[in-house]
Amino acid sequence: MTSTAQELHPHPTLEPGRTILELNGLEKRYPGTHALKPVHLAFKAGEIHAIVGENGAGKSTLIKLLTGVMPRTSGEVVWEGKPAALATPHEAMALGINAVHQEVVLCRHLTVAANMFLGEEESRFGILQQRAMVKDAQKIIDDLGFDLPAHVVLGDLTIGQQQLIAAARATVRGTKFLIFDEPTAYLTRKEADQLFTLIRRLKGEGVTIIYISHRMEEVFELADRVSVLRDGTLVGTRNIAETNEPELVKLMINRSIEQIYHKEHFTLGAAIVETKNLSGKGFENVSLTVRAGEIVGLYGLIGAGRSEFVTTLYGRHKKSAGQILWQGKEVQVNSEHDAIRLGMALAPESRRDQGLCLNLPVGTNLNLPIYKRISSNLLISGAKEKAEADRQIADLRIKTPTRHALASSLSGGNQQKIVIGKWLAHGAKLFIFDEPTVGVDVGTKAEIYRLFSVLLSKGAGIILISSYLPEVYELADTLHVFRRGKLVATHGFRTADHEEILTQALAEKQEKKGGQT
Amino acid sequence: MSTEAIAAEKPKRNYNALFGLTLLALLVLLWVILSVATSSFASANNISNLLRQGSMIAILAVGQTFVIITGGIDLSVGAVVGFSTVIAAMLINAGVPVFAAILITLLVGVAIGLFHGFGIVKMGLPPFIITLATLTSLRGIGLLMTNGNSISINNDAFQEFSRNSFVGVPNLFWMVILVGIPAYIFLHHSRWGRYLFSVGSNAEASRLSGVNVQRTIYMAYTLSGLCAAFVGVLLASRIGIGNPTQAEGWELQAIASSVIGGTSLFGAVGSVHGPLLGAFILATINNGANLLNVNAFWQRIITGVLIIVIVYFDGLRRRGK
Repeated sequence: MTSTAQELHPHPTLEPGRTILELNGLEKRYPGTHALKPVHLAFKAGEIHAIVGENGAGKSTLIKLLTGVMPRTSGEVVWEGKPAALATPHEAMALGINAVHQEVVLCRHLTVAANMFLGEEESRFGILQQRAMVKDAQKIIDDLGFDLPAHVVLGDLTIGQQQLIAAARATVRGTKFLIFDEPTAYLTRKEADQLFTLIRRLKGEGVTIIYISHRMEEVFELADRVSVLRDGTLVGTRNIAETNEPELVKLMINRSIEQIYHKEHFTLGAAIVETKNLSGKGFENVSLTVRAGEIVGLYGLIGAGRSEFVTTLYGRHKKSAGQILWQGKEVQVNSEHDAIRLGMALAPESRRDQGLCLNLPVGTNLNLPIYKRISSNLLISGAKEKAEADRQIADLRIKTPTRHALASSLSGGNQQKIVIGKWLAHGAKLFIFDEPTVGVDVGTKAEIYRLFSVLLSKGAGIILISSYLPEVYELADTLHVFRRGKLVATHGFRTADHEEILTQALAEKQEKKGGQT
Repeated sequence: MSTEAIAAEKPKRNYNALFGLTLLALLVLLWVILSVATSSFASANNISNLLRQGSMIAILAVGQTFVIITGGIDLSVGAVVGFSTVIAAMLINAGVPVFAAILITLLVGVAIGLFHGFGIVKMGLPPFIITLATLTSLRGIGLLMTNGNSISINNDAFQEFSRNSFVGVPNLFWMVILVGIPAYIFLHHSRWGRYLFSVGSNAEASRLSGVNVQRTIYMAYTLSGLCAAFVGVLLASRIGIGNPTQAEGWELQAIASSVIGGTSLFGAVGSVHGPLLGAFILATINNGANLLNVNAFWQRIITGVLIIVIVYFDGLRRRGK
């Protein structure tokens, strides 16, 4: 079996505009819940169709049904005029339906080329044609305009680059219908632009695209039509030219957009933490202060040194120079343990890898930092453990049946509430949030921002890292811009415009990218 | 999504207890069948024998389970048992008081566990490798120390302990209770036990939450080494000799007991009662097979089949089907 560059350009049998896939009352019930209420929707060949909705609105269920991962409960799917069972992933792929998932599902230990051809390797007399595959893979990648080598091990690339490879891979298998599930969640702006170019190009070749995203500006940038799901119901489909963001948000959450960024200003108190010329791996010479009642935003591209700065502050990595002052006194933070004892709390960037024990109960996750406090000697007090966990679940409105439910069974937004919530009981003074709303829906975002206010009102300070400019822009009292490991600019609350901040965050020579907001 | 969670959650609740009951039912069923099928199974003598046979593996399985919950494995426990019989025998024959000899032997087990922790935490070796290395080298050290001979222990009181009973129950089984109850409280009701689970589930998240991950790993291997040394003392008492080649393959029986008892080799799932039941299920099968005159070779095959069947059904339940 030999894949050639020809397969890069699939030839849909339908001319653009005709219906390629039709859902007639597609429905999914799990025991005790109605995940997707009967959906009627027709996708036109060659369109980019965005689907938006909160976490738990039924988007994932819809994808799983379309890609054959799960069987539907009832309803009919018509593919190119013929009913399709879509009972297995294999069947979906054979029809030409493919998906690119939010988290890269490829083999990190194999090369880019091996991943591109995984399952469809080129071989002669049973011997893999490795060199030919690398060559073909490189051709495909170059053709798509990605500046990536095909012979390297996938795990050596950044998450964003891996995502691009996953997208490239999905295009080489005679794909006629491609689903992107939050593909830009971990991408830099440049990588996202490359991905958008790819998507538009696929559209030009007649491929139908479903694009799922929480980022409204992407929906408006890319899509031809947009459908909104809420609580498992399709509440509306609009032509993109005939709608606007407030209308979509309203459809999604029944709430207006102003209520999302809920910024309260508090009187700033004494400095909680101060760094003086702090340097370490990935950043240098950073001096900044966080005061009580203040949100300090750190904006920059991924890899600009923001995460490295806070993990060093948190004792994860050794500083190479400079000082850390905690409430006015110089301190040595040699481990996370030291940081936590001082009163720092970190909600890390990747909740799956760093934030949660997924196969442990919600209650254990919430109490993990405070087991010392709810134990007498070594024995855990069952009553205190229960009380603390139940209080957090109620306060944070975590949607879980009980504290015994496994963290893995919750939706992304609710998992994120656990990652943040476990520090509330701990009573920390400084909270560090690293990309707290990646992959989180609008409703949960609003709740997370409200939590910020609660923390500030108790006299805590917050460091907020985000690659999503509106978020830091609307929330930060002080906004620091990072570029290539250096703190390059500082602004007050809404004292600079988006354009200016973006320019500072990008390298000077790089072309200015508009439309981030 | 959250409503989905409700649906998926119900069968998982008290899952551990349910699975424990299933295992207990299996054990009772085996006993009933064997009582009917053979005349000698239900005799007091045989039951005592069975309890003695299962006890030592059961204690090993508890220590092993602590390690497996952190996502590791301890292949050395059989070798530690054999090595400990040598240490105990030499000390007792050298005139060291029995309690001091036992204490020193246990400390040797602790030291071996600490060494494993050091290899994993400080040297970055995979648990499989460092404990495999100990497995082979401890047997070698033991053979060097004894010149390949067995050491007969000349202390009758020491040997009688393992043969005697207390209120009709063999002393060896009392030792299971002595280890099992503190182990249960430690694993399910103490902070450190909770940290074993959290480290096994996600070491990075635990570290960021202020859990001392390194200390937790040290602790797991130390407890496993301690359990193994304790079993070594019991074995020395039971067979009356010190011999470094004893307890060959016991590490695999301990792992099998743990896995049959519902421990996940991926970490973060396990209990104390499960592995104990697992050990006695294995002991019952061996004992029953002997009474039924089943070829000893078959016993190994049956054990293998049993592991596959139980873990398969366990996996089915876990996925909520």
